[in-house]
Amino acid sequence: MKKILLVEDEKPLCLLYEEELGAAGYEVTSVHDADSALEALRTGAFDLIITDIRMPGKDGIELISRIMGMRKDIPLIINSAYQSYKEDFMTWAADAYVVKSSSLDELKARIRELVKD
Amino acid sequence: MSELRKDLVTGRWVIIASERSKRPDDFRPAGAVAKEETPGFCPFCEGNESKTPPEVFALRREGTLPDGPGWRVRVVTNKFPALSPGAPPIKPEGGLFQSMPGLGVHEVVIENPDHAKELADLDTDHIRDVLEVFRSRIGAIEENFHYQYVQVFKNKGKEAGASLSHPHSQILATPIVPKRVKEEVYGAERLFRANRECVFCRTVGEETRLGERLVLRNGDFAVLAPFASRSPFEMAVYPLRHSPFFTGTTRDELASLAAVIKTVLGRLKAMLSDPPFNLILHQAPNPAVSTKAWPGIAGYFHWHLEILPVLTKVAGFEWGTGFYINPVPPETAAGYLKEPA
Repeated sequence: MKKILLVEDEKPLCLLYEEELGAAGYEVTSVHDADSALEALRTGAFDLIITDIRMPGKDGIELISRIMGMRKDIPLIINSAYQSYKEDFMTWAADAYVVKSSSLDELKARIRELVKD
Repeated sequence: MSELRKDLVTGRWVIIASERSKRPDDFRPAGAVAKEETPGFCPFCEGNESKTPPEVFALRREGTLPDGPGWRVRVVTNKFPALSPGAPPIKPEGGLFQSMPGLGVHEVVIENPDHAKELADLDTDHIRDVLEVFRSRIGAIEENFHYQYVQVFKNKGKEAGASLSHPHSQILATPIVPKRVKEEVYGAERLFRANRECVFCRTVGEETRLGERLVLRNGDFAVLAPFASRSPFEMAVYPLRHSPFFTGTTRDELASLAAVIKTVLGRLKAMLSDPPFNLILHQAPNPAVSTKAWPGIAGYFHWHLEILPVLTKVAGFEWGTGFYINPVPPETAAGYLKEPA
């Protein structure tokens, strides 16, 4: 089973993603801030990272920069409610940028593209 | 008392608030400005080419492959472009509220592989290479006459709009001639009709004679602190040879321009502790369009560069009136900028 690290500060959203992506056949580990994400990456193995941008503490942009310094090989999807972060060139480091919506169809499609058996 | 000054070409007014006059140290105290943090990862650095869209142009070492290391200057399409190529534009649609598809080109010019080496730090040959890349990309984009205006600009520093400190510039081609460009074209045309002379050539001649706002002049270019400067330590770089299109510059002229840019950016950097700035190319719209829309444009438009340090805030008064308040008279600014770094 492919493993996804989800970095999202809104806990109800994590539950929704865990349920939906779990039903799609992925094992989802949720963390709620950047430091926890870095710790999870040090200790665990993941096939894909999904990260929010606007979070307390280090934001997603800084997290991406740090992840790229550690593990450039893991595909990464930005999942933000805001389009405006596309203006930040650091978001180029991500393999996909999916704007949050009530449907997870686009997110699931990008995951399928990036996590292949 | 402050003084109101009018820009000859655009008609824009500024307030030169000399009673608020400041020295360079007042804006950016020497040594007190924190260096921008170098990120742990940068998608523009050599070795990270896979994180950018494929290159559309690059100057690279012989034997090296596209989208790999070995480049000196690299141009890529913006991964999240403000405007994108597509079907030819149609006229704006709608009644009261007009709109049209976002057709255009949005490219990023990565000026060198070294994250920490700003434009002013490069040798003049490398700066000339960057300018040649600008010239080449403008020419290539203008082959499509739907791209009516090609804007080359550089945002340096967060306050100037740069999200990444790795030295880069941007090229944005629009399917319409922007309002500010039209204002400049119409202003130049009006003054040409009145005086039978290019207003920019005349300005350079007069400022050279007066000397008080002339920052430097070599055999090909003059750098002025404009009479109606909007920003403290603003500079305008004019070619001495009249030409409306940047694509008409020769390799020798680009080498000469590179030396000028290195000098003035070096002085800004030393004097204002590496300030944020915007560097903007002003040129005539796409020749395929402008020579038809403004038949005499080759005679009265004159390409030039603007360098605008970001040292003051544009706020309510500026947005409301279009006026700018500049606390440093350009004559004072030129005095500082003339001094070697």
